[in-house]
Amino acid sequence: MKLKKILFAAVSAGATALASPSFATTELNVQRFFGACDADFGTNTDPTKAVGECGIITSLINKFNADNPDVHVNVTTVEWPGYDQLTAQFASGDAPDIVTIHESVLSDYQSKGLLMPLDDLLKSVGVTPDAFTDAASNGATKDGKIYGLPIDSWTMLYHINMDLFKQVGLVNADGTPILPKSPEELLAQAEQFKQKTGKPYFVQNLANETALYTRNLYTYLFQQDSDFFADPKHVKLNTPEAKNVIEMYKAIFDKGYTTKDLDYGGSINAFLAGEGGVHLNGTWVVGDYNAQSETKGTALNKGGYAVYPYPQLFGGAHAQYADGHTWAVSQKDRTPEQTAAIGKFLKFFADNDFEWSRTGHLPAYKAVIASDAFKALPHRNAIAAVADLGKPLPSAVQRQFAIQDIVGEEMSAAISGQKDVDAALADMESRINELLANI
Amino acid sequence: MADRLTMPQTAMPAAGVRTPSADIYAPQWRNFMFVAPFLFFFTTLLVFPLLWGMWLSFHKADTFSSGNFIGLGNYVRLFHDKVFLQSVWNTFYFVLLTVPTLALLGLFLALCLNRRTRTAAVLRTLFFSSSVLSVTIVTLIWRIVFIPNVGLLSTIYGWFGATAPAFISDPSLAMIGIAIATIWWCIGLPMMLFLSALQQIPQDIYEAAALDNASRWQTLRSITLPSIKRTFILVVIIQIVLQFQLFGQAWLMTRGGPNNLTKPIVLYIYDTAFRRWDLGLGAAASEILFILILIAAMAQYLVTRSRGDQT
Repeated sequence: MKLKKILFAAVSAGATALASPSFATTELNVQRFFGACDADFGTNTDPTKAVGECGIITSLINKFNADNPDVHVNVTTVEWPGYDQLTAQFASGDAPDIVTIHESVLSDYQSKGLLMPLDDLLKSVGVTPDAFTDAASNGATKDGKIYGLPIDSWTMLYHINMDLFKQVGLVNADGTPILPKSPEELLAQAEQFKQKTGKPYFVQNLANETALYTRNLYTYLFQQDSDFFADPKHVKLNTPEAKNVIEMYKAIFDKGYTTKDLDYGGSINAFLAGEGGVHLNGTWVVGDYNAQSETKGTALNKGGYAVYPYPQLFGGAHAQYADGHTWAVSQKDRTPEQTAAIGKFLKFFADNDFEWSRTGHLPAYKAVIASDAFKALPHRNAIAAVADLGKPLPSAVQRQFAIQDIVGEEMSAAISGQKDVDAALADMESRINELLANI
Repeated sequence: MADRLTMPQTAMPAAGVRTPSADIYAPQWRNFMFVAPFLFFFTTLLVFPLLWGMWLSFHKADTFSSGNFIGLGNYVRLFHDKVFLQSVWNTFYFVLLTVPTLALLGLFLALCLNRRTRTAAVLRTLFFSSSVLSVTIVTLIWRIVFIPNVGLLSTIYGWFGATAPAFISDPSLAMIGIAIATIWWCIGLPMMLFLSALQQIPQDIYEAAALDNASRWQTLRSITLPSIKRTFILVVIIQIVLQFQLFGQAWLMTRGGPNNLTKPIVLYIYDTAFRRWDLGLGAAASEILFILILIAAMAQYLVTRSRGDQT
C-alpha cells in the first residue's frame, strides 16, 4: 500500500513537471540542405567564426537556439536539393515547419496551396518586402504574395586559378584575368591555355550532371535575347540560339578544353589541386575558395584566386541565369506561439543576412548589399554586378528542377557526342513540353 | 451424443445404424480469426495498394490530387516515351549482364569451395560477407573504386601510365559498372544455394564413379551438374526477379545517366511519380513492371511444377 502511494506521488510529480508552463518551449522543425558539418560547427554559436554554407547556417541556427530559450529548433539536414523527400512529407501530411526552397521551385508547392503566405507574419516582426533586393523580391513573390523569406541570390561564376592564367599570359596590366568576349575568343584562349599549361581551361563536373549544363544554356540563351519561355507552358529550345550554345560547349569538350569524367566533389578537388584554369561553380564556394587561397601551400595560394560573373559572349542582353534560396513555411494549423516562433526565426535570418552573404551568395537585402561590411568582403566588387545581371526563368514556369534534368540529360548527350545536336534539341523541347502539358 | 463424439471411430460397433460423426475438417467461421491478422495486413498493405495503383494508372493524377479518368491515356504516353522504352531495354540489358554471370560464377565458387578445409570455410564467409551490406555501402565502395583521378582503378592504371575506363560516366561502360557492383554484392546467395545443393548429392555415387575410374570432368558432367539442375533453375529465376527490380545501385552510382542509359524501370517510376509528380504515369509504368515480374514468377512456377511432376 505504501509503495503504491509513493508510486502515485512520483507519477503525479512527473506529470506536473511536464505540464508546468515554466518548462514549455515551442518546438520548430526546420529542414534544410547545405550539407552537414556538426563535427566542425555543431556547437559553435558564433557565426562570424564559421566559413562556408554549411558552417554558417549551422552556426546561425545554433545562435538562434541559444538566443531564444523559449524556442527550440530541430534541424533535419537533407541531401541537396531534398525535394523528393519534401514532396513525400507534404503528401503524407508530415511536412517540416520551415524548409529551404529555391525561388525557382516555390511555385510548384505554392500552386498546390502547401505553403503559407508570409506577408502578414513578416510584417508583424518588422520585415517588409521593400527591404528585399529586386531579384529576391521577384523570386519570392508568387501571385502577389511572399511565399518564402529570401536569404540570397545566387548564380554561377568563373572561379579562376590566377597562377595558371599568369603562366598563359592571360592577364591584364592591372593583374586582372583576360576573359573572352565571344565564343571564338573563348576557344582561342582555351587552346592557348592547353598549349602553355598542358591542362584544360575548364574544370567542370560533367559526370552524370544536369544542373551545370542547364545553367550554362540558360545564361547564354539570355545573352542572345532568346525568349525561350515566352509561354510558361511551352518551351522553344529547338532554335539556332540554343544550337550556338551547345556547339560551343561541344567544341570545348571535343578539343579537350575541359575535364570530362568528374562528378561535383571530384571537380572541386581538381580545381583546388590546380588541374585547370576556370572552375564553373556557384556563388556558394567563394568563401571556401578564398579561404583556400589564403592558406600557404595550396594551388590557389601560388598565384591567387579570382572570381567573375560569366563573360558576355554574345551580342544580346547582359544577363546570366540566377536563382535564390528562401525559407518557406508549410501551411498547417498552428498555435499563436508556434506562429510567433516562426516569425522570430525568419526575422533572425533577415537580420543576419550579412553573415549568410559571407558564403559568397549575394545578399537578399538592399541594406546589406549597400553596406561597407559587405563591400569589404573579398571579391565582392567583382561579383556584385550579378545583382543586376542575374535573371531567373519566368516565375510561372513550373517543375523547373524536372526541366533542368531533361535539359541536362539531352545537352550532355549532345556535347559528349552520344546524340546529334539537332536531335538532342528536338528531344529536349518535346520532352519538356510533354512534361508541362501534363501538369 | 457427447459419448459418441469422444469415442474413437474405429471403436464404433460394426452393427447398427451408423450416425455421422462430426467432421473436424468442416469449415468453421471462428477459424477465420486465426488468419484475420495476416489477412488484414495482406489486404491493407498489398491488395489495396495493388488495386489503387491500377486505378491510378487510368487517371491523370498528381501527388497531391487524383484527377480525371483518362482510360489508357497514361499507357499511350508511356509507349510514346523514348525514356520509358529505354528504361525497359536497360532493365533487360542489366538482367542479361548480371543473371548468367551470377549463376555461373556462383556455381564456380561453390564447386571450388565445397570442401572441408579451413581455407574454404574462410573464403565462403568472405564471398558471402558482401551480401550483408546495404546498397548504400556497396555503391559507396564501388564509387571509390571507379571515381576518376583518385579512385582505386585510376590509381592502379596510373602505375602503368594508363587512363582507367570511366565506369560511371562512359555511355558504353556505365551499365557494366553497375553490373560489376551488383554481382559483387549478390554473389553470396547463389553460391550458398549451390553449396547446399552440392552437399545433398549422395557421396556413394561419387564413390561408384571413382571405382569406375571416371575422370573429374566426367564426374562433374555426369553426376554433379545433373544433380543440381533444379537448383540452377531456381537460382536463375530468383535472380531474374531480383535484378528486374534494380534501383538503388543505379540511383546512387549514376543517377540513371549518362542520358538515361542506366535508368531502370523502377528509377523511371520514381522519377515520374515523385520528382515530376506525375503519379498516374508512374502508376502505369509500375503496372508494366508488375506484368514483367509476374511473367518471370509464373515461369518459375511452371518450370518448378513440371520438374516436380517428372520426379
